[in-house]
Amino acid sequence: MTSFLARALMLSTPLLFGATAEVFAQRSGVMITAIEGVFVMGAWAGFVGSYLSGSHLVGLLFAMLAGLLTAALHGWICVYLGQQQVVTGTAINILALGVVAFFHRVIFGVPISPLQVVPLAKIDIPLLSSIPFLGPIFFQQNILTYLMYLMVPVAFFILFRTSIGLSIRSTGENPEAVDVAGINVKRIRFSMVLLAGLVGGLAGSFYSIGYLGMFTTNIIGGRGWIAFAICFLGNWNPIGVLIGTLVFGLAEAVAILMQSSGTGLFPNEFFIALPYIITIILTITRKSFNVPASLGIPYNKEN
Amino acid sequence: MNSKFRDLLFINALAVLMGLMVSGIVLLFLGENPFYVYATMVQSITSDRYIMAEIFVKTAPLILTSLAFGFAFQANLFNIGAQGQFYVGALIAVSSSLFLQDKLPGVIALVVVFLLTLLGGGLWGAFIGYAKAKYQASEFLVSMMSTYVALAFMNYFLRTFLLETKGEYPQTDPLNPSVWLGILVPNTRLHVGFILSILIAVGIYVLLFKTALGYRIRVVGHNADAAKMAGINEKKIMVITFVISGALAALAGFIEVNGVQHMLVQRFSPGVGAAGIGIAILANAHPIGIIFASILFGALQVGGVMLGQTMGIPSSFVEIMQGSVMIFVIASYFVREQLEKRREKRKLKKVVAA
Amino acid sequence: MESPYLEMKHITKLFSKVVANNDVSLHLGKGEVLALLGENGAGKSTIMKVLYGLYHADSGSIRINGEEKKIRSPKDAMALGISMIQQHFSLVPANTVTENIIMGNAHGIIDWKKKEQEIQALAEQYQFDIDAKAYVRDLSVGAQQKVEILKALYQQAKILIMDEPTAVLTPQEIDSLMDFVKSFAAAGNSVVFITHKLREVMEVADRIIVMRNGVLMGSLEKDKTDEKELSRLMVGRELVKTKRDEEQQEKEQADCLVLKNITLKAENEIAKLEDVSFSIKEGEIFGLAGVSENGQQELCEVLSGYKSPTSGTIWFQGEDITQSTIEERISMGIGYVPADRHKFGMVMDMSLSENMLLKSSFKPDWYQHYFIDKKKLNAYTASMIERFDVKASGPDDLARSLSGGNQQKVVVAREVDNGETLIIFDQPTRGLDLGAIQNVHETMFGEKRKGKSVLLISTELSEIFDLCDRIAVIYKGRIQGIYQHTELTTEKIGLLMAGYQEKKEALV
Repeated sequence: MTSFLARALMLSTPLLFGATAEVFAQRSGVMITAIEGVFVMGAWAGFVGSYLSGSHLVGLLFAMLAGLLTAALHGWICVYLGQQQVVTGTAINILALGVVAFFHRVIFGVPISPLQVVPLAKIDIPLLSSIPFLGPIFFQQNILTYLMYLMVPVAFFILFRTSIGLSIRSTGENPEAVDVAGINVKRIRFSMVLLAGLVGGLAGSFYSIGYLGMFTTNIIGGRGWIAFAICFLGNWNPIGVLIGTLVFGLAEAVAILMQSSGTGLFPNEFFIALPYIITIILTITRKSFNVPASLGIPYNKEN
Repeated sequence: MNSKFRDLLFINALAVLMGLMVSGIVLLFLGENPFYVYATMVQSITSDRYIMAEIFVKTAPLILTSLAFGFAFQANLFNIGAQGQFYVGALIAVSSSLFLQDKLPGVIALVVVFLLTLLGGGLWGAFIGYAKAKYQASEFLVSMMSTYVALAFMNYFLRTFLLETKGEYPQTDPLNPSVWLGILVPNTRLHVGFILSILIAVGIYVLLFKTALGYRIRVVGHNADAAKMAGINEKKIMVITFVISGALAALAGFIEVNGVQHMLVQRFSPGVGAAGIGIAILANAHPIGIIFASILFGALQVGGVMLGQTMGIPSSFVEIMQGSVMIFVIASYFVREQLEKRREKRKLKKVVAA
Repeated sequence: MESPYLEMKHITKLFSKVVANNDVSLHLGKGEVLALLGENGAGKSTIMKVLYGLYHADSGSIRINGEEKKIRSPKDAMALGISMIQQHFSLVPANTVTENIIMGNAHGIIDWKKKEQEIQALAEQYQFDIDAKAYVRDLSVGAQQKVEILKALYQQAKILIMDEPTAVLTPQEIDSLMDFVKSFAAAGNSVVFITHKLREVMEVADRIIVMRNGVLMGSLEKDKTDEKELSRLMVGRELVKTKRDEEQQEKEQADCLVLKNITLKAENEIAKLEDVSFSIKEGEIFGLAGVSENGQQELCEVLSGYKSPTSGTIWFQGEDITQSTIEERISMGIGYVPADRHKFGMVMDMSLSENMLLKSSFKPDWYQHYFIDKKKLNAYTASMIERFDVKASGPDDLARSLSGGNQQKVVVAREVDNGETLIIFDQPTRGLDLGAIQNVHETMFGEKRKGKSVLLISTELSEIFDLCDRIAVIYKGRIQGIYQHTELTTEKIGLLMAGYQEKKEALV
């Protein structure tokens, strides 16, 4: 049971990173529809960095950089060129998948067995990890999961207690008002996209070096979209996102458990599809969305 | 031809070229000369009748998935789940074909399969449209998520009910030649589905621009409030649009199964939905433009395969080409807006100076 | 003479379609209230947005205290003590008053309690009845304007620009705004007051600058000019009133439209319309006067079928149409020219002929075997373009490519033709130039002469007085009274619009 919950928590980590990244970008008005691409790039760059240098730190830095660059392209087109966010994201997702597959081939050729790195080590927090039941769940995790614990309060604090947070929230609601208040709308939006890229890249790397210790091109398989959906379902709020993430982490852990134990009651495919089914159900049943009023609308002022 | 349309053609062509140039850069990492590679690609896809026909074989499903996105886009709806509807279509096509092939004469069986596929894709789309119309559920999220559900369905059926008799791989038995779509050009794989998809594109064009329903769909797409004030039932339009959009994508699955693969295998055409979106962007969601843009993407895909065979270039190069072409086309919209603005301003400057 | 506090010299600003400002120079003194007067589209807002850094001029310079300043963004302007209240307020409805006021003026971690107290104190200092913790979406328009003013005060603005500040206010709110402007200027600050209303100019301004078509027409001391001169400068000729013809007045006509006790109220909200009853006769222009956002939009939505009333009935030519759909009402011959044509009236990215089809897409006349009869539609559109004097090259022009006045003519043309019995005009002349206004007014008279009924909803009293046979006044969703046009004076109607109700029963 504890190992099951610990795994659920671990599997929540990248989703929380991704969804929080989306919260910041979408609160400023930009949907990172390139999130799949950001995740894939992060996963791949994290793997390459770790594999080539032997250092996870280098891997994480690579992942952040790759996420940043991918998001920057998205941000440049959507914010500065004022183009459609959904189609731009789709283009970048295709491109990212191509780039990753191509350069993986270029660097590693076609290895006989998949290349491996040691996954991020579990770090036991002294004392806390020995608390019965809770300790093994919460305090025997890898560094990224510990980072996740910090992320929710920090994100909440930034959004609701600081001036930059006020500017971010206002930009997503009414960019004209922000402009009139002397704040550069496009700069805010672009920085949020970049931030989302950094965090999203880290999230992607979790799938390669944080967990599996290997990379395949279908390693993300729609989890970026799940993070995207969690941002919607969590009402663009770090706390709502936390709840959503835990639900999905649990669903994924259940899926893995069922696949390995194979009760036979439901087919494996059902559990694979479960997070997506949950998303659809929640999207339909969820009432009173607090959508940022100018989400997805480019700010193009003639001046 | 008016000047704006000329701009669009010219700048789009330029964007496509630039997209290809930039993706050519990655070839340098393989130690290849991009110009040489592209020259080889053009040569290889034009050298042989069979390979040229392959371009149109690839084009056919792309036209349909692209229409699926483009058609919904005209109503300002995002159907980014064409991939899933494609799977649904393929699944229905293969199972109904397997079921009917021994019971009905080929042509009649094909017509029934065709209709069943339309129905299945339409219902799948109707669900998304209904969720949007009734519950304001983001069609973007629902259509995206439903793709993964469709994929799970397909994999499940391939593993169970539809598993081949040998039971070796998760794939179906091959279809009887009686339910194959007829070959258009002998000794190639080019089948009737290509003509069908072009006819459908023309039909969608007529529907959108010549009929009341199409007119209403476009009014809703451009200005939903004005549509409502004009007595147009926006919610009904949403559902109808998604029914048609879903059916279009499902048809792509039908022509792939009955026209090309003659069976259903796992990991079946995974990029056909996303490429469809790219094509629709390239064509500005115009059905006739989609035909030509699909041929371009079809050529890139065949070219990519040929490059893999002759020069050992990874197949992912196709995705890089497609992705960068899309990005340059999207950016070109900005360039066109700027050019237009600058032109207007220059005119005014003359007025002021006078 | 010492150099003035603020100078703008030879400002030219081009947009992609219009010359917004052409070589405009103006100056502003300390403690001065400057009125910027002109019709819609004269370039008043643009020149001030240049000053505020929202727009960048194509040429020209700005000096403050004789020193040349580059103003690249509102941030630069604010640093120079310039603040501007936009016509459409720049507030974030989802945020609180405090959040709105401190945005852009707070740094780092925010102590909300302290800020709220600060804002509350500031509001009290100016006797503004505003709760610092309230959400802006819950405030009335008048209160929102106070938030905008507080924002400027919080920034310690020395130059306050107000763009059409009275458009959404009741006469009483206008009075208190005027008082504020005067006292703010008396404290040594400067105010630029953008308006198109002559009366306000004469009341508040020290000096008046008149603009027309992006060009400065004159700068006049208030004491040395009068409304007549100003209006001549503003519109380029003396205002000519459209003549009404009285001959039909005597005949007693049948009722065309009857509203009985219409109420529109969403749950847990105040009623948007409350117990509204009136009737419009055949061949009558019935006016509905009132300050904007007092229920006019909702009334139109109820009449057109866009919304169903919570209670009450609507009768049209003796038939109960309360439950009729929009489509049915269009078929019955009810035309509607909405106030917000961008939102409700037109599809900007469609051609003119497609826009003409908008309200009648379900009528079989336009189809041949289910296909749109393009030839017929284009011929019809071309004839309407000619009849209504629309400046366009043809039926295939995109609606977007037309000027606002010509777009409005297209909507009017369509609705007048569709509205065979009743035509609702909501703010039909807002934002139009004089020629277009006259065109619309004459159309209304013409349709009336044909025996059609017209409902004219307007915030412009002169329009109401000039055109209407009977006039109702609406305030907070209630009808204040219904009068013959001869019964009302500007003063009386002003009081009614502000919510003062007459003691005696109004004549119906």
